[in-house]
Amino acid sequence: MANGVNASPGLSFPRETFQKLTPGPFLHAHLKRPSPIRPNGRLPEQQRTPTVNAGSLTHSNGSAVVRCGDTAIVCGIRAEILLASDLPYPPSEDLDDDDLIEHLGLLVPNVELSTGCSPAHLPGNPPGTLAQSLTYRILALLHSSNIIDPSDLKITHLEAQTDEDLPDVGPRQVKKAYWTLYIDILAIALDGNAFDTAWMAVMAAFRDTILPKAYWDQDREMVLCSPRLAEAARLKLRDIPVASTFSIFSTASPLKRKDQAESWILADPDALEEENSKEALTVVLVSKHSAGGNMLRVEKSGGAVLDKVFTATCVRLAEARCRELSTMLEAV
Amino acid sequence: MSPSLALHPLVRADGSATFTSNLYTVLAAANGPVEVSRRDELPEEAAIEVNIRPSSGVGGPRERWMESVITSLLRSLLLVHLHPRMLVQVTLQITAEPSIKLKRGVADVALLPTLANAAFAALVDGGLPLERTMVAALAVVREGEVVVEPTEKDLVGCQSVHAMAYSMKGEMLLTESTGRFDLELWEDVSERLRETTMAAMAKAGEDEGMEGGAEKGEPWLRHALKENVVKANAWREGG
Repeated sequence: MANGVNASPGLSFPRETFQKLTPGPFLHAHLKRPSPIRPNGRLPEQQRTPTVNAGSLTHSNGSAVVRCGDTAIVCGIRAEILLASDLPYPPSEDLDDDDLIEHLGLLVPNVELSTGCSPAHLPGNPPGTLAQSLTYRILALLHSSNIIDPSDLKITHLEAQTDEDLPDVGPRQVKKAYWTLYIDILAIALDGNAFDTAWMAVMAAFRDTILPKAYWDQDREMVLCSPRLAEAARLKLRDIPVASTFSIFSTASPLKRKDQAESWILADPDALEEENSKEALTVVLVSKHSAGGNMLRVEKSGGAVLDKVFTATCVRLAEARCRELSTMLEAV
Repeated sequence: MSPSLALHPLVRADGSATFTSNLYTVLAAANGPVEVSRRDELPEEAAIEVNIRPSSGVGGPRERWMESVITSLLRSLLLVHLHPRMLVQVTLQITAEPSIKLKRGVADVALLPTLANAAFAALVDGGLPLERTMVAALAVVREGEVVVEPTEKDLVGCQSVHAMAYSMKGEMLLTESTGRFDLELWEDVSERLRETTMAAMAKAGEDEGMEGGAEKGEPWLRHALKENVVKANAWREGG
């Protein structure tokens, strides 16, 4: 050759080039082998093992970092006091206790993805559709799962009765204020399956949350918090729900005959798998078998592959995952 | 009570529909294929944009979430590969909702079938090429009983609520369930909803022959679409 290099340039590209050029066929080539293995080295139904680190932020009431493969999410919980006198529409006395948290908005999650966590989310941008939907899905699940006992968030005061009241009535318990929990969820790194990891981070942070003893000071007419650690109480969770997401990668297309299409369930998908599947199923389960069943949420939209049999398979996998992760979270 | 569907209420949109279920009324408009902004352009297929407008106020995270659910549903309905580098735009305006205050999670799931049906009807009316026909329906589980197409009263104090959409071939396109349930109950509900949605699309004649066909509802979607085709072809017969 002219420049003296006689080694001919190779005609094949490295693996990474194929992944960048044609991600769909790249994923398909891995899965269609006799023993399918995903590009990330996992088996189709194999999930990533998360690591949980609780109490990593010193200035929050509770915090946790959860890392699941290349997805790392940090969650911090900050408690603020909402005075009952500041409420424009105080809850009526007959309001069901379980509706109180939703009525007053005592749980405020926010998901932030614009941290440079993945090339798809540029830092500094306003929250996109994904961030907003994640925020909403977490909020809706917090409300529908009823995992927090509303009495943990109430700050009450025993008010002595005045002379005008009947003499035989004891002191009356008055709700003076409520704890509002601001749940900030930041993705430090995102490689697929943001919802499962974010939800797990929220659960781990709740397990770590300590609320100081707050009381109504009659003389100063304000809510005070006790600085003594011994009086602070840990937030109790009724359940620890676990979310499991499955992507369905399918070769079905309107240009192909239906019986030629093949599909695979990919548990705990990474970013590449998420982008190349049109269908995803999220199942939220609780480990404790309480009355009415162990399923809290099933979400799936788009795609036509998933049927009852596939769903049942996914629920079985999710049940195993739920047992494993809730023991892990209980140890936090 | 079978839901009511009116096609083409809007004159300027390519396709439009008003859909009324037991709980909500949604006005849908579909435009497409139209030009797409460079940012949203997809090289091999049409981009889909769904805008949801609540009955009062402006949309927030809740609407963004619903938009993403409806977008992925419509992606599996439309033949997107026929219009690369184009946009299909669907706007959904909620015009009536239950007067009683529902729990947030229940209200969200309850709204989805109405949105999906309205969006689908608008796409049909706009003459957009579709891959499949679809009907969405809602069910609640109340005191252990499955109630299909519930009323406002059924939603209060229900154990779980399920929204599902099926294609004419019986493919499950959308599933959103919330509350407390187990797999067995979910499968039971999904079977009931499959029957309901199939009945809505059933061929005339086939429906009567089916056992208990009458109680599963009349084929309202087929009636509405047939009526529309007859109307559109009226000029041929007249000439």
